[in-house]
Amino acid sequence: MVWHIAKKDFLGNIVSARFIIGFMLCLFLIPFSILINIDDYKGQVRLYHLDRDSAETAFKSVRVYSKLRPEVVKPPEPLSIFSKGISENVGNRVKIWLGDKPMLAEGRAKIRDNPMLNAFFSIDFAGIIGIIISLLALIFSYDICTREKEDGTLRLQLSNSLSRAKLLMGKVLGVFLTLLPILGFCYLLSALIILVSRGISFSAHDWSRIVLLFIASLIYVAVFVFIGLFISTLFKSSVSSIVVCLFFWVFFVFIVPNLSVYLADKFIRLESRDNLNMVINDSNKEYGKKIDEYQESLEKPDWGMQWHSSGGEDGGEENYGSTRSFFERERLSNIYSEPLMIEYADKKWAHQKAYLDSLDHQRKVSERLSLFSPAAMFRLIGSAICYTNIESHEKFMERTRQYREEFIRYFQNKNVFASFSYFTPQPPESFLTADQIVEQRTGGEFKTLKALNEWSSKQPSWRNLFKKLGKVPIPGTSPEDYSYLDVSDVPSFKWQKKHLLTGLQSSIIHISLLIVESLLLFYLSFVAFIRYDVR
Amino acid sequence: MFRTIVKREIQHNLYSLRFQISLVAVLAIFIVGSISFIKGFSSELKKYSDYQSQYLEQIKNEAKIHATRLAVTRKTYELHPRSNSFISDCKEKYLPNAIVFSAWNVFSFLNRSGSVNPFMIQFQELNWSFIVSMILSFIALLLTFDSVSGEKESRTLALTLSNAFSKGTLLFGKYISAIVTTMLIAVLGILISVLIIVFSNQLALSSVFILECLGFILLLFLLIASMAGFGLLSSVLSHKSNISLLIALTFWLIFAVVIPNSSTLIAKRIFSIEHEEAVQRKINQVLSDIGRNAPEGSWSMNGFNPFAPEHRLRANLMQKLMDAEKSIRDAYYQDMFQQFERTRLLTVISPISLFEYMTESVIAGGYPRFKKVWEEMHIYQNQFLNFFKSFDASDPDSPHWYNPREVVSTTRKPVALEKVPLFEEKAMSFSERLSSLFKYLIINAIYIAVIFLLSFVLFVRYDVR
Repeated sequence: MVWHIAKKDFLGNIVSARFIIGFMLCLFLIPFSILINIDDYKGQVRLYHLDRDSAETAFKSVRVYSKLRPEVVKPPEPLSIFSKGISENVGNRVKIWLGDKPMLAEGRAKIRDNPMLNAFFSIDFAGIIGIIISLLALIFSYDICTREKEDGTLRLQLSNSLSRAKLLMGKVLGVFLTLLPILGFCYLLSALIILVSRGISFSAHDWSRIVLLFIASLIYVAVFVFIGLFISTLFKSSVSSIVVCLFFWVFFVFIVPNLSVYLADKFIRLESRDNLNMVINDSNKEYGKKIDEYQESLEKPDWGMQWHSSGGEDGGEENYGSTRSFFERERLSNIYSEPLMIEYADKKWAHQKAYLDSLDHQRKVSERLSLFSPAAMFRLIGSAICYTNIESHEKFMERTRQYREEFIRYFQNKNVFASFSYFTPQPPESFLTADQIVEQRTGGEFKTLKALNEWSSKQPSWRNLFKKLGKVPIPGTSPEDYSYLDVSDVPSFKWQKKHLLTGLQSSIIHISLLIVESLLLFYLSFVAFIRYDVR
Repeated sequence: MFRTIVKREIQHNLYSLRFQISLVAVLAIFIVGSISFIKGFSSELKKYSDYQSQYLEQIKNEAKIHATRLAVTRKTYELHPRSNSFISDCKEKYLPNAIVFSAWNVFSFLNRSGSVNPFMIQFQELNWSFIVSMILSFIALLLTFDSVSGEKESRTLALTLSNAFSKGTLLFGKYISAIVTTMLIAVLGILISVLIIVFSNQLALSSVFILECLGFILLLFLLIASMAGFGLLSSVLSHKSNISLLIALTFWLIFAVVIPNSSTLIAKRIFSIEHEEAVQRKINQVLSDIGRNAPEGSWSMNGFNPFAPEHRLRANLMQKLMDAEKSIRDAYYQDMFQQFERTRLLTVISPISLFEYMTESVIAGGYPRFKKVWEEMHIYQNQFLNFFKSFDASDPDSPHWYNPREVVSTTRKPVALEKVPLFEEKAMSFSERLSSLFKYLIINAIYIAVIFLLSFVLFVRYDVR
């Protein structure tokens, strides 16, 4: 009997105008959202290739270890076509420094070409499903009780030996049967678009996550069907029922998700980024001061001349053609400064962590507030399934921090800080004293540095000194004389694809909440329907 | 007769369930929004004043070192938070809000980080503009979607029309009464919000503020008139009220969800601009050409003698490098502005987007404000440069070879902070606001007329039996 009613309702529904309009709406909105997001994804892939190539080239073209700093570039997530989550707010590039732990990734894909476009919002597939499917669920369920009552057929039906429970079950089933093809159509259509668009390949793993998303949307639909059903049992006229349903719809789908973030933003204080920057600056200054003091304590080199040199961030320096004592002094300085830099990174991290925690706390509050809305919950589930939520990002950042440790261990094992190769590719046996350099470079014209300096102090321009020194080149004192470092044994960053169910711990809570909500609503509507005045 | 219809319709609306729910919901959201505004705004002001004092400190220190240091160092000016942002935040959180400049150049604009928590999804502030564009636009549709088809269903339409007034009068009466009812809800909400904000001492009642509020109410009227027009249209498009409702909802989804969210796609696809990396490549190319072709000695520098003859060449080279980069960047910025403006112009098909753009002009926020500050900054940069040059001219120890990037061949004398011109943002004048508003106003007026006429034509042909 239940099945019979369901079938009747289903057949009645699919020829109704609302089914056709709903279907058309999906037919228009789903390709719209999928195409927008495919476009975004392709843009990200383009940037990813650019970034990755330049990171690789930069990594491979160094001659000294002090300039060897890998950059991790995270490939864009194909599933972000379905749910973007926060993937556009956080970056995808992390440079591994010794002096800083990775805190926030750089290179947000969206702000590169025209930062003003950030003011335009964009919506993903999960967002569209969240809006449109919930609307259709309400449109089909708001008059479950009221319509037949208005038509006068409800009384008639119940005059048979049909129990109210069975009637209600049948009707609810009918609504589900109607919504299922629409929902299935949305997913199939989007799968089709993805299959035919070039440059996008989904793995079996990705498809199975999409199936999970589909299951989550079924539960989401159920919640809204039961909301519609419940409201319908409370009202006598269809018009009142639909008006109330629509208010709930706007409230759940548009107001609460916004309101929750807004309230968290206003009421939960963030640690100030400017303050953090100041603290970090101070810490860097303190570090610099310590290094200066230490260098003061070291013996002065016989000559500070650097034939070729370049500096860089994070202890980066590259020297050629200096004197033995200069190189030795640099080496001693590095033995002290580089481990200290790593130590300072840990000190700074305490403050950075506090800042990150405050960001995370604010986010958590906003998510807790948004639990009022099934739509917001669905969005959270979607981003968890599509690896675009904060947990996935945090996992990635955690992995980069681990990688930094691996990288540091690699340096320590090789003992590079105590090695000359940290800042010069020149072999130690080729190092010369100041006088030797002067003699060789001037072609024997000056035997000692002292003699050269005496001569040069009488010259009108300091450039003459370099002209003299440029007379006879010393082989092996310029960067071109050396090939790049062999980086094949440097540990590489691995970011493996996860298992089918990883990262879904938080979603399990959300899904269970949705299920509990729908059961509760069904129970309430059942009770209300039993007492419903069918006349 | 017209008055009778309007009176009857308004009464009917006021007693309806949808009006009661709308009123409660809207007032509640207005109250929550205003209270959170008060809470958030003071911390925003604090953050800004912290930053501002850092910025002034930087200028002071540089001036103390010497005028050249002050002139060549890049500074980042941040736009101050608007006190009227409870009307609309104009998505300023996501727009550029800071400009990098020196005495020689206005380099770039950026969104100073810290204003957005990257771990949270993009969201809109719960201000008047949001409430109006998302909720009141919806209510305007809810009050009108069944104004014709509903009466037909309840079989009162034929009866009503048997009186001695035209169909046009009836339709117009319904239209006006729906607008009046929705306006009533909105204005009540606005009044409560103003009361909360004024009593919290966040804001003094000034004539500008009152004018802005009135301007906002006018825009609100235009939006509601457009949306009510679409409601009427959906009600005459069908004979059944539930189908009218679906049509009305489709309109709303298109205006509130589809069009605003497709802007990025429109911008990228229809008004695409060069990629950032291509521009950067072009700049690198030009710069390296200039560097290579520079006369010999251009790259030399002598820290001890400002008058070293190579410094004149070096100053020339640096000026050339800066000008070359600036001209490419400025052209790129113009492309960006154009891309943004054109995209907006295309999205005015949605009355809701139209309303948001007009609100920006009325309250002098968002993009028009940023654009104005950007242009003012260029004027200021010239003044700043002139100040520096005249200061430098008075120093006999300076060779006056202007090098826009480095401290080499210009004055090394400190300058008193009071003499340094500082950038100040000017308030947008009434005529400036109006001029950016004007085109949108015309579009909106035409919009409303067309929609109402269309509904009227369809209603004349409507089968009232």
